[in-house]
Amino acid sequence: MSTIETDSEVATRLEFEQEQRSEGWKLLRAMLKVQRRNLLIGGLIGILWASFKVMVPQMTKYAINDGIEKDGPLLRWAVIIGLLGVLTGVLSGMRRYVAFRESRWAETLFRERLFRHVIGLHVGYHDTAQTGQLMSRASSDLMQIQGFIVMIPITLSNVLQIFAVTAILFITDPVLAVVALIPLPFVNLSARRFSHRIHPASIAVQAEQAQLANVVEESVSGIRVIKGFGAEQVQFEKLEREADDILRESMKAARIRSSFLPAIDVLPALGLVAVLGVGGHRVLNGQLSIGDLVAFNVYLTLLIWPLRNIGMIVALGQRAAAALVRINEVLETESEITDPAKPQSLPTGGSQTLGAVKFDHVQFGYNPSFPVLSNFNLSIAAGESIAIVGATGSGKSTIARLLLRFYDTNVGHVFLDGVDVRKLRLRELRQQIGVVFEETVLFNDSVANNIGFARPGASQQDLERAAKLAGAHDFILQLPNGYQTIIGERGFSLSGGQRQRIAIARAIIADPRVLVLDDATSAVDPSKESEIRDAMRTVMSGRTTIVIAHRPGTIALADRVVFLDGGTIAAIGKHEELVSSNERYREVLASMEHNAEEES
Amino acid sequence: MWSSGGVSDEDRLSRAQAKTIVGRVFKMAAPFRKTMWMAFACVCVTTVCALAGPVLVKHGIDAGIRANDVGELNLSVAIYLLVAFLAYVFGRMQFLYLNRTGESFLRVLRLAVFRQMQRQSMAFYDRNKAGVLVARMTADIESMAELVQWGLLQFIAAGMLLVFAFFVLLTLSWQLTIVALLVMPLLIAASIKFQHDSNKAYLMVRERVGANLSALQEGITTVRVIQAYAQEKETIEKFTKSNRELFQSHERSVRISTWYFALIEFGGVFASALMIGIGGWLVHRGDVTLGTVVAFTLLLSSLFDPVQQLSQLYNTVQSAGAALNKLFQILDAKPEVDEHPAAVMLPEAGELRVDGVTFNYAAAVNPALNNVSITVVVGEKLALVGPTGAGKSTLAKLMARLYDPQSGVVSYGGVNLTMATMDSLRKRIVVVPQEGFLFNGTIRDNLRIARSDATDEQIDAAVAAIGATEHFATLPDGLDTEVRERGSRLSAGERQLVALARAALVDPRVLVLDEATSNLDPGTEAEVEQALERLMSGRTVIVVAHRLSTVQRADHIAVIDAAGIAEYGTHEQLVALNGRYGALAAAWQKSQIVN
Repeated sequence: MSTIETDSEVATRLEFEQEQRSEGWKLLRAMLKVQRRNLLIGGLIGILWASFKVMVPQMTKYAINDGIEKDGPLLRWAVIIGLLGVLTGVLSGMRRYVAFRESRWAETLFRERLFRHVIGLHVGYHDTAQTGQLMSRASSDLMQIQGFIVMIPITLSNVLQIFAVTAILFITDPVLAVVALIPLPFVNLSARRFSHRIHPASIAVQAEQAQLANVVEESVSGIRVIKGFGAEQVQFEKLEREADDILRESMKAARIRSSFLPAIDVLPALGLVAVLGVGGHRVLNGQLSIGDLVAFNVYLTLLIWPLRNIGMIVALGQRAAAALVRINEVLETESEITDPAKPQSLPTGGSQTLGAVKFDHVQFGYNPSFPVLSNFNLSIAAGESIAIVGATGSGKSTIARLLLRFYDTNVGHVFLDGVDVRKLRLRELRQQIGVVFEETVLFNDSVANNIGFARPGASQQDLERAAKLAGAHDFILQLPNGYQTIIGERGFSLSGGQRQRIAIARAIIADPRVLVLDDATSAVDPSKESEIRDAMRTVMSGRTTIVIAHRPGTIALADRVVFLDGGTIAAIGKHEELVSSNERYREVLASMEHNAEEES
Repeated sequence: MWSSGGVSDEDRLSRAQAKTIVGRVFKMAAPFRKTMWMAFACVCVTTVCALAGPVLVKHGIDAGIRANDVGELNLSVAIYLLVAFLAYVFGRMQFLYLNRTGESFLRVLRLAVFRQMQRQSMAFYDRNKAGVLVARMTADIESMAELVQWGLLQFIAAGMLLVFAFFVLLTLSWQLTIVALLVMPLLIAASIKFQHDSNKAYLMVRERVGANLSALQEGITTVRVIQAYAQEKETIEKFTKSNRELFQSHERSVRISTWYFALIEFGGVFASALMIGIGGWLVHRGDVTLGTVVAFTLLLSSLFDPVQQLSQLYNTVQSAGAALNKLFQILDAKPEVDEHPAAVMLPEAGELRVDGVTFNYAAAVNPALNNVSITVVVGEKLALVGPTGAGKSTLAKLMARLYDPQSGVVSYGGVNLTMATMDSLRKRIVVVPQEGFLFNGTIRDNLRIARSDATDEQIDAAVAAIGATEHFATLPDGLDTEVRERGSRLSAGERQLVALARAALVDPRVLVLDEATSNLDPGTEAEVEQALERLMSGRTVIVVAHRLSTVQRADHIAVIDAAGIAEYGTHEQLVALNGRYGALAAAWQKSQIVN
């Protein structure tokens, strides 16, 4: 697929990319500033290492000229070289350690910062953000940054090494130095170009691999359909196409490698040839010592890796900068729901029951131009239970989200015990509201930690009390390790009803003022529905409860029914009254029943 | 790069296993053996070239410079230039040939494993988790790509360089070879220890990376619960802990490589020192020439680098071996349900008979079906009802030969299903699963799953046959609408319609239906109902029923309980019997009344 861009579009795109790049570099510089000290230490070690490393061939030269050719103190030179070996060994180890430790540390801190930020972002952000995208910010993007930082001390010593070696070569024999060094800049150039070209090629291979993974995935999860229709050949042909694509893209990458890597290997050899040819003649003419010639050889080999590395670091830096821009986008997103500047506190009870909820002229839409709720007024007395009934999309679940302050109203206010929820600290507000979501989300953790989630450090008695109220205690005892059984995606698998009851226990352990049950029976086997309802009935008694009803059976649990239609309260009252008086209510009820029968 | 690969102790191959695997790899690589030999030849040439350099320098110094012979010096230079050129040309070719060999091998492996996976029966898919199977085809094969792209080349080249370098050194001077080898024991011991420690450290890192990613993912996907219970601080603390643990494991593995690389660096320089010291003394004694000493200092790295590389690559090669081992296990798994060599076509029409069938899922203690017999005549509609896990779905699956019974016979028109050609079986008997599963592609592509050679007209006709033409026409591109990620663009009802149209496209004699239990949107509900009605008319139908309305329409009802048929008859007969079916029907009735 090729899209044709107009000139102006290309210009805008290039300008945009330019902006992104410079922003990335700016961010990178700012980040490095924080780690300045340790990176500097790493750089210093690297520079020391390079200086000693450069001395080795020099000593070799002296050993040859003085020790071997002239019968000088050979042993002394050998010992000096050996000592240099100890120094370069220790220093190169230290440099490596500092570089890796620093880069991993940066990665670690960055990941924590990202996680902290993402966890704190408002629910509205998470509605649109893709998990995979956020995951790659915190994994592959950070890897790019780590890969760049780790190269910094090495690069510093490489730069020094190149300068020092070049200087020594020029001092020893400027003519030979020029001849020998001619091919070497091409090493750097090739490495740079290689790094630029191989990156998109490997991305392309990965993309093809991902497509093949898709075919495999659908073939495994759709095996019933495939077997049912004998469609094995169809899928095989799909896979064959993907495998061919991988082969093709891989060979493209191989071609890029083959046109750069051997050249990068051979170019320094040309320098060595030049040294032997030109240098040899200069030795014969008496312009150069044989020791210098050997030293030249060794020095040239010392230049190969630094030149390659420096060629690659530019590309690494660009990738790191791009990754940083993406990460920064997340970090710069500010949470729309935050603690108030001057928080108030909730009244503490005394004798009266707490948990009065009031919605006052509330208007709200996920997109403000399409309100889901408008002019919504509802007062729930402390200790009262109400059921919210409405067709799909009527805004039932939204009510709970506004009370929790997952979202803020566009117009109007929500009060808990007379205090506007926006004037409360989020933690204080949310600790007073226990929610059971329509979709039960449990953590990969023990039953005890799942129930005690809202109250870390809750005692075993507390856990059991909550579990008993939720009707979960008995089956928990039957689990392999009782309360310590690991559940969740990767643990012991529970039935839908069991999961629900653990979620209910989790909601009530902190003894919240308000309980929100987003129909806890909807995901449950119909035969288990009554058990859940029993559990719900127990935990509701004496507590303000909002039940969002998806099944007719749940409605009976509540004192009052609030019938939502068209984003506002269409009727309010006892279930029987509404059935007899409201035609539309009967319709909605009928469709709920239909769905319920469907499930049974 | 040193940390790539890594293999746990239980995955490590025994010598015998390794031998079989290497043998099988060569067999699979047979079609491109020529490319492989070309690659090998290129590696030989480049290795010789790499070693020729220092030898030519030696010759230049000894025979040219020190002997004051310009001709010899020029000759050395000329040959060196030629060698460099050859190194470049063969270097390029070696890359291409090696990559071609490796990638072609991976392609063949992918196809072979996938074909074998597809041949496996349902029981295989019951036993193996989907995630594991996908990992075999992706991560396990991709883990070898690295090896194929550069590792293999390095491995072969390093091995050859080591051997060649040794011989070159030996021919130059046996005395200096001994000097060069003095450092070797240290180097080899360090490499072996490093290989071992770094493997362990790598496995630890890999495990903690996995744990960290899980924590990350869990945090992001459960953010609503975390915020609802105001547990941000606690969650972040937990994540930080896992993150710091990851850092520690990274730090440990860096420490391991720190001392190793320090030692290597020291060893290299130390060997030069020895070479200069002892070599110089030997020059004084007249045993060796100066050129030889120089050549040795230049060649030392040809001796040491391969040892280093081999030890680092060892883990990569080991883990590739472990991956191959798992893949070959899949290739060796025999499909349980397979076409008989003497299979025959099923007759056009016939009754479906289950005769004394007993069936056991592999892991189960009790049989899922025990000596079950039932007959469905042409055009009959049979409903299977019963509690979850009683065996009704199993019976339906056996009737379509998704499994083979352990004993007893399932036959169609008098032909045992195990003796039928797969092709004719899938044409006569079609299973429509509960959920409308969609593949990536357009709706049309999805219908062709049922019949890959269907023309557009035939597809249109199938859609028309279930009365869904109008419905699909309302989609943005009609039947050519891309369904996107498993049909996330379509409603559950629409997905069901696709599943039914697939069945219509095959136009089978027998339909095996697993009735949907999930929620359908009221809009398409009626359409699905109607489509199903049309599809069933004129066909033999076996339906695993969950709804009273469906059961009432059936000719016969079989109540499956405790691995057998508990009751059998028409709706009226069974209600009159007032047994299990009576109780079930009553419960269904009741659930329709408002609570």
